[in-house]
Amino acid sequence: MIKENNFKLIFLSLSLLLIILIFFFPFFWIITSSFKSPEEIIATSTTIIPRSFTLEHYNKILFNSDFFIYLKNSLIVSFSSMIISIILSVSAAYGLHKLKFYGNKFVEYSLLVTYAFPGVILLVPIYLLFAKVNLLNSYFALIVVNVLFATPFAVWMLKAFFKLIPNEIEEAAYIDGASRYIVISRIIVPLAAPGIASVAIFCFIISWTEYLFASILISGDDLKTLPVGLAGIVGQYQIDWGFLLSGAVLASLPVILLFVFIGKYFVSGLTEGAVK
Amino acid sequence: MKKNNIEGWLFVSPLVIWISLIILVPIYIAFELSLFNVKIIGTSGKFVGIDNYIKLFSKSKFLNASLNSFYWIIGNAICQTFFAFTIALTINYKFPGKKIMANWIILSFIIPTVVVVVIWKLMLSSSSGIINSVLIDIGLLDEATGFFSSPNKAFISLVLINSWRWSPFLALIILSGLNSINREMYDASKVDGANFVQQFLFITFPNLKSVLFVLGLVGTLLSFNIFDIIWLITKGGPSSATTTLPLLIYETAFTKFRISQAATLSIVTSFLLLLFSIIFIKSMAPKEDD
Repeated sequence: MIKENNFKLIFLSLSLLLIILIFFFPFFWIITSSFKSPEEIIATSTTIIPRSFTLEHYNKILFNSDFFIYLKNSLIVSFSSMIISIILSVSAAYGLHKLKFYGNKFVEYSLLVTYAFPGVILLVPIYLLFAKVNLLNSYFALIVVNVLFATPFAVWMLKAFFKLIPNEIEEAAYIDGASRYIVISRIIVPLAAPGIASVAIFCFIISWTEYLFASILISGDDLKTLPVGLAGIVGQYQIDWGFLLSGAVLASLPVILLFVFIGKYFVSGLTEGAVK
Repeated sequence: MKKNNIEGWLFVSPLVIWISLIILVPIYIAFELSLFNVKIIGTSGKFVGIDNYIKLFSKSKFLNASLNSFYWIIGNAICQTFFAFTIALTINYKFPGKKIMANWIILSFIIPTVVVVVIWKLMLSSSSGIINSVLIDIGLLDEATGFFSSPNKAFISLVLINSWRWSPFLALIILSGLNSINREMYDASKVDGANFVQQFLFITFPNLKSVLFVLGLVGTLLSFNIFDIIWLITKGGPSSATTTLPLLIYETAFTKFRISQAATLSIVTSFLLLLFSIIFIKSMAPKEDD
């Protein structure tokens, strides 16, 4: 017994150390580096504890770049995509998991498989389609694509939450004469609220981080999103590291802030509900 | 509960219509394009039948990209399974700070991929990267190495970076499976004298089947689709070593301006993925008990 406990303790501490080093240290590293002087960032001898402190990179990105334009575009696109995704996926998940119907298994699996088709395979034809209907260079083009990316998984996440709601509650409401609309808005949505919160953050993240379609479907500088703006700096021959790092930190801030408030729903949505 | 055919479809249809429109119309357009020889977007080409398909299969570039995609999926599956299980099994223990770690482990997944690229370009930089200086300090390297300079190193580095992004997310899904396993099974097995490894093989693993099914399917398709991490770091190089099918499609369409060829590639790729999905679902789908 003692031997096995020791083994577990060693496994636990080793893997904790590994996880912290691999998955958390890089964040410490870029955040501290974004406050270092340009010379210290590119110095060949690396310094774990920063020797210099400067706000010049943040100054430059906030007051001397298109950061706020990109931020505004990213916020508009992400929030709109999130709201449309929630409406579509909650409705679909309700139909799939509360009102069994002929063909629901087919729809459920097809939704999972649609994860195959988004991505680069659709890039060329979607570009042509949007060119035809004059949707290139519009927020709507990105919203259409983001909803497509986010909803299949969102429906799958909601499944668990809907299954947790006992059918008896709904049936009792119908006996009392409640309409479908009342049941959904007064019973289903409130009871599935943590699930809806986790779906919301998932859809926001998907939209916030999307790069490929945003880089192709948008060509005007005034409509570019943050990832595309940042990628422009990554691609430069001489990378201004301080500028890039402060941009990377600022571009991550909104999702991290959102995560501070509703992240726990997302994580518990993933870890406690997902399997029936 | 009784079946509600009409209402059920009514609730599902907005999403189904949205997704079908955005997938089926473009696929139709791509199929049509693949039968012509359109080059630059907006110009018209002449009808060439299945010429594009014949040419495609005789091209070494297509073969090379398919192989790269295959290695990419296998490499990512191995790395991500390892990292994701390590994280999930670790967080499943009780230790101080467990809650915070479970909440924030997913940080690498919620930040934009471009930021992932920035982080690892800096960490792996050959001139001032911390990984290089640490490896030199502990004596594993004599001098700084370029992690993206040789074909093999670039490929492996990219697999690791992509796994770094996805593993925590997968770990949380595995954790959901672990949480659904009845604790008493472990206690009972302990009484019967089962050890740590046996518990994993005979209780943990079989009970994760339905989670692993979804991960196997969605995970494979998602890794196949990865574009931005590869494109922003190596642009498919050096010497096409990291050009997977998504990069080849992008390159063909938007840097070489051969739209019809890119469309042909898209059709063939969709077909391959669909075939994979059908086989995977038919052979691995866990039996539903409702």
